Amino acid sequence: MATGLDLVGRSGTDPRTASNWNRRQILLTNLRAIRGRAYPRYRGLFREKSWVLFEILLPFLSTAAFVFVYRALHAPEQYVGFVVVGGAMTAFWINVIWMMANQLYWEKSQGNLELYFAAPMHFMSILFGMALGGMFMSTTRALAVLVIATTVFGVSFAVEQWLLVVAVFVATLAALYGVGMVLASLFLVWGREAYHLGQFFLEPVYFVSGLNFPVARLGLLGALSVGFIPLATGLDAMRQLVFSGAPFPVGTPPPAVELGILLVMAVVATLAARWMIISMERRARIEGRLTVRWQ
Amino acid sequence: MTAIGTVNPGAAVAVRGETLRSFVTAVRLGWQMEANWTDPLLFFIYSVAKPVAAALILVVMLQVVGGSATVQYRGFVVIGTALWAIVTSGVAGLAQAVLEDREHYRMLKYVYVSPSEFLVVLLGRGVARLSVGAAGGVITLAIGVVALGVHFDPGRIDWPILLASTAIGLATVVALGVLMAAVCLQTRQESWQYPDAVAGALFLVSGAVFPLAILPMPVQALGLAFPLGWWIEGFRRAFDPGNPSAIGGAGSLFQGVTGQLIPSNTEVLVALLLTGALVTLAAAVAFRFSLRRAKDRGLLDRTTGS
Repeated sequence: MATGLDLVGRSGTDPRTASNWNRRQILLTNLRAIRGRAYPRYRGLFREKSWVLFEILLPFLSTAAFVFVYRALHAPEQYVGFVVVGGAMTAFWINVIWMMANQLYWEKSQGNLELYFAAPMHFMSILFGMALGGMFMSTTRALAVLVIATTVFGVSFAVEQWLLVVAVFVATLAALYGVGMVLASLFLVWGREAYHLGQFFLEPVYFVSGLNFPVARLGLLGALSVGFIPLATGLDAMRQLVFSGAPFPVGTPPPAVELGILLVMAVVATLAARWMIISMERRARIEGRLTVRWQ
Repeated sequence: MTAIGTVNPGAAVAVRGETLRSFVTAVRLGWQMEANWTDPLLFFIYSVAKPVAAALILVVMLQVVGGSATVQYRGFVVIGTALWAIVTSGVAGLAQAVLEDREHYRMLKYVYVSPSEFLVVLLGRGVARLSVGAAGGVITLAIGVVALGVHFDPGRIDWPILLASTAIGLATVVALGVLMAAVCLQTRQESWQYPDAVAGALFLVSGAVFPLAILPMPVQALGLAFPLGWWIEGFRRAFDPGNPSAIGGAGSLFQGVTGQLIPSNTEVLVALLLTGALVTLAAAVAFRFSLRRAKDRGLLDRTTGS
């Protein structure tokens, strides 16, 4: 007669044997964890109707404000298009800050964090699940901002290398959410600073990333941003790719080079996140802070 | 013991005293929660970085485009951005207090059943965050004067208009915060971003960083119906009469309706008072309705996640 343990594919019924998982079991459990952690973010979109107003329509209006700044200054139309692209990309950065970086701190406050650590999967699966769910949420918002703003403001794109655009976009998301996973580990120990750090990582990062203006304008600061902040690199690469031939200031690397930078950022950030989450967990266990809330 | 129906002035004074005490305690609590985890320098950096960066984004946008208009608009956008830091923190303050106490600290239901008036406690918490935003706004303005070329001459400032518009404007911002708290009583945990989204949307119709005249007429009408634009106009004009008007201007709805190019100071204050009173009334009604519904549906101790 099959037991419950047999049903999940374990090799025996005594605890020692049952805990001896093969690679397939480990992989499947981690994949289930990724799906399970991504699920509430995907499902939440359809449960909270107010989301449509607050996370799609209102952010579009915020983007529109910057469009009108350029219109008031009679700037070239490509600048308006650049604001629209920036408005769409900020959806991902906002998601990274509030729903990746801040998330583990909130999970600790809600009592979920110890359950994650106690569950039989790698913690990176939780982070990947959060990232995938967040990407889905943000993509809907970014697409909405892009489509509505493009239609309303009559933005026209001049794309010559579609494949490179897609590659840059995917690499930007990978790098952004990789950074999000690193920040999640850090925010876990930063505690009550989390909200303020979240605020700190918005407008200041927008500024050094060249949101709404070409980052080359910032000179050395812009160059450093392109080298270290995925939002800056991704925005600059997309600006060059979707507005080919536009009279923007020059000085940043070509898109293919920026794609390489983004890929390096993605790999480094993911490895760093893995190392950091293990270190933070060990440190938090030693100091007994995994279950200490609201500090 | 007081008989039912008799007037007891002492009791009314006692109630006012209790309300004031609740408010002051809530402000102190809000301030402690905002700032007691770190040293003042770090907190100062956190508070100032956001509005200063927002102003710098706009200043660089002006530089990128170039031209004579950009010099004229520099003071315009810096003042607008500085005041917007106050709006953002004020609108978010009460809503964040609701979300923090319900989702994070899980104390909202206990606050609600305490003898203090619920709205008074929330107002206290909101005022604490508004103060942080105000500090950020003042410092942004100072940096604008020192480093970004914003014109500042204390002798030319119209202090009565500046103080009156600021007082009414701040009250209106708090009213908008009450409105957002009413919304967040009904929504889930991810409402953390909602106040910012609302402030971002109001940014479009408030003339904070560009004149309303650039907008389509119906959107201009919406902007004139909201008090924030009038507040910023009053403050900007009182601070430096040389600043362009965000409300009026050639081809604006204001000019089409009134025949004047720009509103007078008195008109700005009257419009601010009227629109501010309407928003305050709407916020009070919405909050009462939301609180009743939250009680009916058990939302005061609901927690969510994603």
